[in-house]
Amino acid sequence: MRTLLGGRTARDLMVVVVLVFGVGSIAMLLAHVSPLDGFGALFDGAFGTREEVAETLVQTTNLLFPALGIAIAFRAGLFNIGAEGQLVLGGFAAGWLGAQVPLPAVLAVPMVLIAGTLAGGAWGAIPGFLRARYGANEVIATLMLNVIAVLLATYLVNGPLALPGSGASETPTLPHAAQLGDLVANSRLTWAFPIALVLAFALRWLLQRTVFGYELRAAGDAPEAAKRAGIDLGRTALIAMTLSGAMAGLGGATIVAGELHRFNTGLSPGYGFIAIAVALVGNLDPLWIIVAAFAFGVLQSGGIAMQAEAGVPRDVVSLVTGLVIIALAGRRVVATRRTT
Amino acid sequence: MSALVAGILAVLTLTLIKATPLIYAALGGVLSERSGVVNIGLEGILIAGAFTSVVVSGATGSPVVGALCGIVAGALLAAILAYGATRLGVDQIVAGTGLNIAALAAAAFGIVLVYHQPGATHEVPAFGRAGETTLIVLAFAMAVLLHVILNRTPWGLHVRACGEDPGAAEAAGIDALRTRFTAVVIGGAIASLGGVYLALAELDLYSDGMTAGRGFIALAAVIFGRWTPLGATGAALFFGFFSALQFSLQRAGIASELMQALPYLAAVVALAGFAGRVRAPASDGVPYVRT
Repeated sequence: MRTLLGGRTARDLMVVVVLVFGVGSIAMLLAHVSPLDGFGALFDGAFGTREEVAETLVQTTNLLFPALGIAIAFRAGLFNIGAEGQLVLGGFAAGWLGAQVPLPAVLAVPMVLIAGTLAGGAWGAIPGFLRARYGANEVIATLMLNVIAVLLATYLVNGPLALPGSGASETPTLPHAAQLGDLVANSRLTWAFPIALVLAFALRWLLQRTVFGYELRAAGDAPEAAKRAGIDLGRTALIAMTLSGAMAGLGGATIVAGELHRFNTGLSPGYGFIAIAVALVGNLDPLWIIVAAFAFGVLQSGGIAMQAEAGVPRDVVSLVTGLVIIALAGRRVVATRRTT
Repeated sequence: MSALVAGILAVLTLTLIKATPLIYAALGGVLSERSGVVNIGLEGILIAGAFTSVVVSGATGSPVVGALCGIVAGALLAAILAYGATRLGVDQIVAGTGLNIAALAAAAFGIVLVYHQPGATHEVPAFGRAGETTLIVLAFAMAVLLHVILNRTPWGLHVRACGEDPGAAEAAGIDALRTRFTAVVIGGAIASLGGVYLALAELDLYSDGMTAGRGFIALAAVIFGRWTPLGATGAALFFGFFSALQFSLQRAGIASELMQALPYLAAVVALAGFAGRVRAPASDGVPYVRT
């Protein structure tokens, strides 16, 4: 089945292209805009200038981290739809600690990124543990934990953990030392992008070339057989969910340290949900997920220009994203979903 | 003393108002899940019901016609999920997640198309006091009716059989795929009434994000209510009560975020089995494929 992966991914990408241009054109015609103008504005907004290309890569990065996390959980047979909450809490931990603890740059940046990774990982570990220990359904648990995460971060940032200089629902600006360096002048593109790319290759290696990756895939593809072969399903569930949350949390930290330079409760326009589409289109293969994240990154960054220049509401992008998820729900993303 | 009574009455009234949309959505979720299909798309169905009922009420001047069209919209959205889940074997969780995203975006886009402004529709003819009371009473009647249908009718038995073991149900001569399809679509119709209530009884318009995660609270109510209509209604009332108390408790120094988090925490706790034995229908969320 794995040998067909490339072909399947190419077909899924075709589905995306058809939906984007088909539904997009219909929506534009309904809004009395010529699709030529609408898509023209979209692609111009995504690629028109150096800075716009950089912003497209920023959006790619923001989707890549949670999508990689979602992929590792899905490959283990676990539906982590809690990436959004893991990302938000990762961002909060990064923003709060970064603003709180003054350190030289060489230490501050790693500290901020590690804080986000750990917070996201911890938030992912909760449903992993409940699953491993009590057999609690991780789908509903992660769904609920998404909302709890946003409420918790809002509570903490306004209440017990408010810092001097905090605004409403946001932390103070990070000291310069804790900010990620820019790659392109006048853009928000930072080292987060290459970090995400390296992470994708590392994840691919982990899944395909290590014993743990093999166990994880076995647990996802054939849980009964894996169990008989002595693989501890509870342990793989806990580790997979923790890693999954850690990646989303790292993504949240890079948004805070590289783009906003502070935590804000509205830091994510739903990256954790769009990333589900990215992971599915990328067929849960880390390298294809890079391609898929770029495709959705184009839609995200170009959508703003499409609305501003051509007058097509940006909601069309979300609509297409939702439809892509529905269309690809038919793929047996997880060979045998764990039911117990 | 009379002030205390008035205060208690005000909280109880507000509890009913806050609980009603949750009850409808949760009952829709119960019916769907008892047949074996997890409906993550409840939030999207609430949105479809709310938005459609507002647009149609605005166009026809009749909130009743608006409500009926809202129900049809909710049923249609559920039918997409039902068709995918029963005939195409798609993953219910993934499809439901997509439905939520698509419905929210479609309504936002629809507002701009119909009203040429972003964010919210115009105000439209809505249900008055009598209509609102009717919808509240209907929610409880629906809970009892669903309880009777699930537990006392042949079709209810078929639904439950499909949720536990669709293979065995088919062996006994039940068309499991058709039963599941019907249950999910009727569930969608019931759930959409929650959206209709929000848009045309509590308010008289639709605005972006108006459903505010009630579809997810309803999922929590399904679990906390142990997949039964009466239990889910009780859970919805419980969550509605805390929502009604929110303002008083906020004054007492309890952060509103912690109050809002309560239904979700309750669901996680119930899922982990801390609140007594909780068991989902055995084949809940498991696609049935004929062999």
